[in-house]
Amino acid sequence: MLVEMKGIVKTFGPVVAVDHVDFTVHPGEIRGLLGENGAGKTTLMNVLAGTFPPTEGEIYIDGKKVQFSNSMQAIKMGIRFIHQEISLCNDLKVFENMFLAEEILLPNGLLNKKEMIKRASEVFNRMQVNINPEELVWNLQPAEKQLVEIARALLFKSDLIIMDEPSTALTTRDIERLFVIMRQLKSEGVSFIYISHKMPELFEVCDTFSVMRDGKLVAEGNFSDVNEQEITELMIGRQLAEEEFSHKPCYRTDEIALSVRNLSGPGFQNISFDLHRGEIIAITGLQGSGRDSLADALFGAIPSTGEIEIFGKKINPESGIIERMKSGIAMVPRSRKERGILNDLSIYDNLYMAYLNTKFKGLLIQPKDQKERFKRQQESLSIKTDDPKNPITSLSGGNQQKIILGRWLEADAEIILFDNPTQGIDVGTKFEIYHLIINLAKQGKAIIVFSSEFPEIFKVADSCIVLFKGNINARLSREEITERNIMYYSTGANLEAEKNDKCDSKKLS
Amino acid sequence: MTSVIQKNSLKSFLKKLVTQYSYWLSFFMLLILAVAVNTSFLRWSNISNIFVQTATTGIIALGMTMIISAGQIDISVGAQVAIISGLGIVVLNRTNNILIMFLFCMGLGFIIGLCNGLLVSKGRMPAMIATLATQSICRSLINQLGQGGPFTVSDVNYGSFRKVAAGYVPLGNFRIPYPMLMFIGFSLLFGLIMSRTKLGKHIYAVGSNQTSARLAGVNVERIQNLVFIITGLLCGFSGWLYASRVMAVAAASAGNGYEMEVIASVAIGGTAMTGGRGQIIGTFLGALMFKIINNILTMANVPTFLNGAISGLIIIVAVLMQNVQNKSK
Repeated sequence: MLVEMKGIVKTFGPVVAVDHVDFTVHPGEIRGLLGENGAGKTTLMNVLAGTFPPTEGEIYIDGKKVQFSNSMQAIKMGIRFIHQEISLCNDLKVFENMFLAEEILLPNGLLNKKEMIKRASEVFNRMQVNINPEELVWNLQPAEKQLVEIARALLFKSDLIIMDEPSTALTTRDIERLFVIMRQLKSEGVSFIYISHKMPELFEVCDTFSVMRDGKLVAEGNFSDVNEQEITELMIGRQLAEEEFSHKPCYRTDEIALSVRNLSGPGFQNISFDLHRGEIIAITGLQGSGRDSLADALFGAIPSTGEIEIFGKKINPESGIIERMKSGIAMVPRSRKERGILNDLSIYDNLYMAYLNTKFKGLLIQPKDQKERFKRQQESLSIKTDDPKNPITSLSGGNQQKIILGRWLEADAEIILFDNPTQGIDVGTKFEIYHLIINLAKQGKAIIVFSSEFPEIFKVADSCIVLFKGNINARLSREEITERNIMYYSTGANLEAEKNDKCDSKKLS
Repeated sequence: MTSVIQKNSLKSFLKKLVTQYSYWLSFFMLLILAVAVNTSFLRWSNISNIFVQTATTGIIALGMTMIISAGQIDISVGAQVAIISGLGIVVLNRTNNILIMFLFCMGLGFIIGLCNGLLVSKGRMPAMIATLATQSICRSLINQLGQGGPFTVSDVNYGSFRKVAAGYVPLGNFRIPYPMLMFIGFSLLFGLIMSRTKLGKHIYAVGSNQTSARLAGVNVERIQNLVFIITGLLCGFSGWLYASRVMAVAAASAGNGYEMEVIASVAIGGTAMTGGRGQIIGTFLGALMFKIINNILTMANVPTFLNGAISGLIIIVAVLMQNVQNKSK
């Protein structure tokens, strides 16, 4: 199937997510789609898969113009989209999820469970994974859930399969098997669009590439004609800015701000580290590595056991958020829309919230005080806004994030946890946020950045802790922070290598 | 140049009026309609009478504004008024002391509110289910205790207790009834709480997004408890006032349909049913509007049995209008 997208534009309000993009996939082609987060890759694919219509532009399949008004129509044309976020219903069984909205029925209208279970098993066999189709999705590991998502797309005959970062939770072995199936389908004429940040994978499985930046298509070609360095430069596009960060000064002092010993909680165990004033530590790991839970536990949002000391003072690890806040910890949460902003409240009130909870004394809130605090943060964080009485949703993602940061600065936080701080923020503002983080370290704040993006870690971190299955798998110094190292340790490849060594030595003996 | 600015500000003012302050618009339109139907509508006796009628439900509606702004709902308020006013009269007849009765009413309201709050915050029950259950319990208990007959204020207390609802402050030629003062006073107090205090900001924050509020350091459970407790206390006050207004509380029919009236008042007042947004002034006008509509319908000889149908329709229209406005934004 030949798919051509011509002059695609997609806007969300004032934001241009995709800007006049031409994109073609030939039959039996595996095309890598690259770009930083927020470059517009997922939006472009959503347009192709009929999730929403384009603002402008046309789609042709085998030369015929098509218009999808929903994803079912795209599926009927043979286009499958495996989404980045796992979108399974936890309370349904595996096979029920796989056949959701495409159930096989008996002639009398009831569900043909037998047939569905059989076909689900066939796909799992083909993928060489051991998942019971009758298991509740609730009981699956993140990696297994991701495999179910992939299996769902393989159930039915399709001509184009779009995979949006399908391998984030998968082990190297699962990925290898996935690639085998992809190559096999490719030889049958099925084409793929493969979105990923992992260079080795892209070079291994993809034939061609398209690079997007700021909503525009900036380059296309064959993987055989380029190297990793060139691709990375195309993606980031700002060689200068990159260099500026590569000489990042370190403001680490001797004073220990946060000391964590043997901290354990849901999804992570025995985490120990020291964070100094002025230091920026990055904590990274794949989905399911315990990174999210660790961030929440440090902030007191979920219970944990172990020892936590803040500026030499012991903190009960079971204490809640308010105690942590009072001792000087702040968190800029991940998933800003669901966990950060208070979307019905004004910009003033959003900024004021943490100060109100920790420092505010008195009966009535003074609008003058709110205004002064806002003005101060607006200047120091350069927040662009119209009228601060408007709801916070009137701001762009980057400015919303600055308000959340300002919220904590007004509460005089000394230790700031940034959890995936640049999610859904445009490239320009991303760099601004990195500068802000480094500036805060310079002012003597102690900072942890939880992130899965290498470019981000590289730009801000003095050192990096890599988690794998809830344990610290590696501690990397500034010099050791490379994309390869982070990938190597976060996929647990070192442990696999050790295991192999052991097996080999056993065989020898 | 200046005319352009004026034009723009007029335009944005009108837009704001329609999208954010639509309750003022509907209030004045309703007022015009009311005057058209009943030429003596604007007489002081009629206006103060509307305020007296509004007070019992209007006071509870202030608490309901908090509950709905916090993303919850309370459908037990009618039954709360019934059990509080009924038992309140029993206490009054035993003690012959209006103050003790008042404290009892407030105490009982506090307890019921606390139960509702704990079921929602600690028991993680949907508020609709929790308050449906407490409603049923309260109504059934007072029915059992009343055994079909009404709770009647004894003759000894009749004269003094009547003054709570029927008393007034003379102001020149006008008489300002106590219930009117209570309603206005509570409205001012709650308006201040919601717009200028920590509690108010926290209520909006919790109603807007519980997770975000919690991660900003708001004690979500405490706020959930508080909004139900405050509403329970207001039911206590309102039950006390109600007892004085009717002097004989019929267990089965006392406070019947109050929850609908109260929720309707909040809805017409522009408070978002999804939580996070709402204003006390809106509820204040909303509660008055509800009674004005009743007033108009009475003038038009619509039977009182249809009151429930009317409040149901009002809720539907008010919330549908909110949704349309949200979409157009």
